Amino acid sequence: MAKKPKVAICWLGACGGCDEAIVDLNEGLLDVAEAVSIELWPVAMDFKYDHLAAFGKDEIAVGLVSGHVRNSEHVEVARLLRERCKLIIGLGACACFGGTPGMANLVPREEILDTVYVKAPSVVNPEGRLPQVETPWEGETLHLPEFMNHVYALNQVIEVDYFIPGCSPPPELIHNGIRAVLADDLPPKGSTLAPRKALCETCPRNKTKPMRLEIHGPIRRIHEVEADPETCFLAEGILCMGPATRTGCGETCIRTNIPCRGCFGPTPGVVDPGSRFISSLAALLKVGTTGNPEAVMASIGDPVGYLYRFTHPVSTLGEKRLSETMEETP
Amino acid sequence: MDDEPKLVCFSCKFGWGYLTKQEGLKDASDFLMPVECSGKLDAIHLLKVFKEGADGILILACEEEHCHFQEGNFRTVKMLYLLKEVLQAHGIEKDRVRIALSLDPEGRSIPGRIAQMKKSLMALGPLNRTLL
Repeated sequence: MAKKPKVAICWLGACGGCDEAIVDLNEGLLDVAEAVSIELWPVAMDFKYDHLAAFGKDEIAVGLVSGHVRNSEHVEVARLLRERCKLIIGLGACACFGGTPGMANLVPREEILDTVYVKAPSVVNPEGRLPQVETPWEGETLHLPEFMNHVYALNQVIEVDYFIPGCSPPPELIHNGIRAVLADDLPPKGSTLAPRKALCETCPRNKTKPMRLEIHGPIRRIHEVEADPETCFLAEGILCMGPATRTGCGETCIRTNIPCRGCFGPTPGVVDPGSRFISSLAALLKVGTTGNPEAVMASIGDPVGYLYRFTHPVSTLGEKRLSETMEETP
Repeated sequence: MDDEPKLVCFSCKFGWGYLTKQEGLKDASDFLMPVECSGKLDAIHLLKVFKEGADGILILACEEEHCHFQEGNFRTVKMLYLLKEVLQAHGIEKDRVRIALSLDPEGRSIPGRIAQMKKSLMALGPLNRTLL
């Protein structure tokens, strides 16, 4: 019997939701476990990074890597995985676009440390001590990973072969991705293993979208209204990122009466989904040329949070890359 | 600010300077970009301008209710409101983007407007690029 291909599943700066999505393969996981040998999965099994380092170059067939990159440990593990894995699949919104943690890029590093370790109401730290990379302790030195200036998407640190977006990614897409790897039936490198259409095209509410979509009056948030479970959110004046977001999620949010938040990232060809949505929203808002657009726009609470919830690290203004020497390059 | 601020000026071809030679207007600014309509400007164009090193943007659009394409100028006004929120979140002052809704076919006022905007940018100081 031929040797099973080796698989590494690893998280960097992640919540574990992507690993949970793998577990949600349910019986499908048994097929996967039958077909491959899982060599690393820190969330689910007891493996050490030393085991990973012991593999040869490209010895692992595929690495499924979730999470963003924010500290030196993430960088070290990501680079080690890149060296040991023949293919790297960025799993989930954080690996693909930086994810929700990427919103931290709007706050300087020093301010984050100060808030978390000094000023937070539940913290007592009169000396203002902050975590140190090296701390001498009883004749030895304790080490902590370095907290970097910026949140990176995985492909801003290492080369990523394929992307499976989502927060969390649907198990079907993960299963399809693994099957495609095993069957060696893969699209060109750099592709996203998800449909190429926008969410609106597969949205069950699309048929209720008026021929000429217009938003009149103030923008409303989903918790402020009792949204009709079948009507297009934008037609109801509720922000929905569907027009600027790739489909493939199974419209799970829409089906539970929650507008799209954009976790699948931009449709192909769109670089910055936030700015694209700004332009389309400006066209949709009908306040009349004599009306006051500022009042309507002001009804959008936290526009930046809406527009860049999952994609700030790959946005035009937020994009940076990490060089081999750990230097930030815009 | 020691150096002169880098100002990028987008001007609508239907309202601004269409009766004069574009070469003459270009003396007013190193970065004068005539466009078919201010409504053709996408938010990403303006973000890229800042990312690439500009200190400010001036948009010369048609007068209210006089857009050749019906409401391109008004669409840009709406777009700028959200765009300025994005800029502010990145530490870029909202006043670094301005739009003038007016008409000047001979473009005589363009050099003055650019000079005035540059003066305002000088007063604001260098653009904060900490988060960029």
